[in-house]
Formats: sequence, structure tokens, C-alpha cells
Amino acid sequence: MLDSDLPNAVTLLKNLQEQVMTVTAQVQALTKKVQAGAYPTEKGLSFLEVKDQLLLMYLMDLSHLILDKASGGSLKGHAAVLRLVEIRTVLEKLRPLDQKLKYQIDKLVKTAVTGSLSENDPLRFKPHPSNMMSKLSSEDEEEDEVEDGHSEASGKKSVKGVSKKYVPPRLVPVHYDETEAEREKKRLERAKKRALSSSVIRELKEQYSDAPEEIRDARHPHVTRQSQEDQHRINYEESMMVRLSVSKREKGRRKRANAMSSQLHSLTHFSDISALTGGTAHLDEDQNPIKKRKKIPKKGRKNKGMRSEQLTERERREDTKEEARHCQDPEEEGWRALAVLPGPQPVFC
Amino acid sequence: QMAIDVLHPGKATVPKTEISEKLVKMYKTTADVIFVFGFRTHFGGGKTTGLGMIYNSLDYAKKNEPKHRLAKHGLYEREHTSSKQRKEDRNRMKKVRGTARKIIHNP
Repeated sequence: MLDSDLPNAVTLLKNLQEQVMTVTAQVQALTKKVQAGAYPTEKGLSFLEVKDQLLLMYLMDLSHLILDKASGGSLKGHAAVLRLVEIRTVLEKLRPLDQKLKYQIDKLVKTAVTGSLSENDPLRFKPHPSNMMSKLSSEDEEEDEVEDGHSEASGKKSVKGVSKKYVPPRLVPVHYDETEAEREKKRLERAKKRALSSSVIRELKEQYSDAPEEIRDARHPHVTRQSQEDQHRINYEESMMVRLSVSKREKGRRKRANAMSSQLHSLTHFSDISALTGGTAHLDEDQNPIKKRKKIPKKGRKNKGMRSEQLTERERREDTKEEARHCQDPEEEGWRALAVLPGPQPVFC
Repeated sequence: QMAIDVLHPGKATVPKTEISEKLVKMYKTTADVIFVFGFRTHFGGGKTTGLGMIYNSLDYAKKNEPKHRLAKHGLYEREHTSSKQRKEDRNRMKKVRGTARKIIHNP
């Protein structure tokens, strides 16, 4: 085995010798240049200087070790090893800093080489605030300004063009596709959500949950329509700096909503959780009882000759009640006028 | 321009003059360019919310404020002829042509 390796080893050693010669020649040339002062580093980055020095020290220690090893000494407990480890750790710590500075160093180098900024440099795309002001329209500054020394910023606030025509916004109409069933479903979902946050359910939750009881001065969980409208009105007033007038109807609504919440109504009347239990709702959102729509039959039914015979007795009686209330035209011919009101003459309204 | 929140527990609604005095102290201007209006006390008392405007100069104020607010400061006088009188005069003017109109308008 050793015999086959011998010629390889000899060639390797020869290569090594040649390479060592070239390296020493280069290093000697470099040292001459540095000693002559060809690479001034006072104005450079100190970070890079530190790195340079550390790398040089590392190399020196390494070569010391190699020398010792080549002359047959052991490396155990060698002083140079400790120094090497120290320098290595410092270099590792420097590496993230290096990463962060990489972009800037590259740009500096490029600038130094080419003499100007490259085309894709983002620094070339500075904002130009003078381009943002419209040069066509005349400036009509707002007079009543925010005080406290903000008067310099008045130019930015409202640059209104005097001769600008109002162009209404182009809105695309969307097809209204909601069916009655979908509307019902939405209403049911909303009622469910409202029922979940009602007092009954909340008390049940407190009873069965292990979490500690929280006593909070929170806002009303039910944002009623009235409170939402009030909030909307307040926002409008404060942003437009005007006071809106309240109509009588609005006043009545507000009074009713306040009365509802301020009475002891909430102690005895629990909110409607029929959405969760099934069944129809008795009260709608604003605590008004839901009225059932009565079907008022149309007057024109009696003119449909064939169908009129299929009317039930009850419906016929209902129709007559309606007729007796309204003005009756004595000249109208209908089987009803003759059949159902036989006795007395038809009444003139 | 600003929205003003006044907290006055136990007292009645604060008059506008006092509020404008306070604003004079806060913003170090004169009282004649401060206009406050629209004070509404919340239910239960103690808190009032209103709106206010402070102008940079009296000229700006005269140009931009509505006339009724200027009248409250004494900077504007509205005419005290009734609208009925004015309409009657105008209708009388309509019947006549030429110089006679002037005579009817300024009797």
C-alpha cells in the first residue's frame, strides 16, 4: 500500500513546494505595498479594519500551529489553539453585522468604481412634493384654520380649484337577487346573534362557566338602531361642524328608546330568545310587538265570473262586510248585491 | 375648529361667555375671533358637548362665519324691515316702468 502511495505523495509534495513559492512571492509583494502606504485605511470603515486585523491574527496563529505540527510537536494544550478559538468566536459574532452592512458596502464600492449612482438605485426615486400640487387649478386656501401654529400647513389643507366641474362618481348597479327566503334567513341569523348576548343567556353562561365573575362598566351590548343612528348623527355633527335639527318624530323615537332602557322594564321583560329556541318572535328589535298582517281581500274578485262560485261562505261574508263599509254603487251588477242583501235597499253613501 | 366637551358636575350648563374665556386662556388669542355654538347637555347633567371655531384674524371671521353668529358678537346688523313690507313694495314696483320705480322703492 505504501508503495502505490509514494509517487502520489512525491508529486503532491512537489506541487506544494511550487505553490508555497508563489504564495510567498505574492505575500512579500503585498507587504512591500502596505509598508509603502498604498492602502490607506484611516477614512474607511472601522468595522472592516477590525475584521482585517482579526483575520490576519487568525492566519498567524494557524501558521504557528502548522509549524509546530510539522516539526513533530503535539497540539494538545497549545496556547495558539486558545487564541484561535477566541478569534473564531469574535469573527462569528461579526458575521450578522456584516450581513447588515453588506448592502451599504456594496453600494459604496460600486459608487467608488463607477463614479455615479446606478440606474436601478432606489435612491434616485425620491419623492417630489412639488409634483403633487396641481399646477393647473388656482389655490383657494381655507381661511378658518386650526390654531396652535399650524397656519403654515394651510397650503396643504384644501387646494380647491375654482373652475373644476363636478363629475359624479360612476357606480355600477348590481342586480338585486335576494329572495324572500334569504331575507328570512338573514333576519333569523341576526335574531340569533342578538339572543345570544341577551341577559338570560349571559346569566346562564355565568352560572355554568368556571371563569371568575367580571363586573364591568361596559357599553350596552345591544346596539339598537336608535343608538346607532345617534352615533351617526354625532359623528356627522362633529365632522361637519353644524348642529342638525331634530324632527318631532325623531324626538318621539328617542324618548321611547330612552324610556325603554331607563325604566325597570329590563328587570321584568326579558329579551326575546325565541331565535334560539325556535318559534316566532313576539317582539322585534326595537321592542315593538310584531303585528300580523291582515289579508284584506280585493274588491275586484267579484268580477271574475267563474271563480266567484268557488268562494267559501266565510269569504263571501267577509266581502260583504267590506262592501257594507265602503260606498256602494247601486248600479253595479253582481250576484252578491242581489243574493246576499235581499231585503233592504242598497245604501247610498 | 373643534368639538368642545365641558364637564360641570353639580352646576348648570356653563354659559358661552365663560367657555370663550377659557378658550382665550388655552389658545392665547383674543375673544373676538372665538365663536362657540351648539351646546347640548347630556342626560343627567354634568357634561355638555358643543362646537367651536377660532379664526386667525377678524377679517377671516367676518368672511366665513354665518351672519347670525356674527350678529351675536355684534359685528353684523340685519335689516329690520319685515318681509311682508318688502314683498308689497316689490309688487308695487312691478306695476310701473321706468323712473317711477325708483320713487316707489325709496319713497
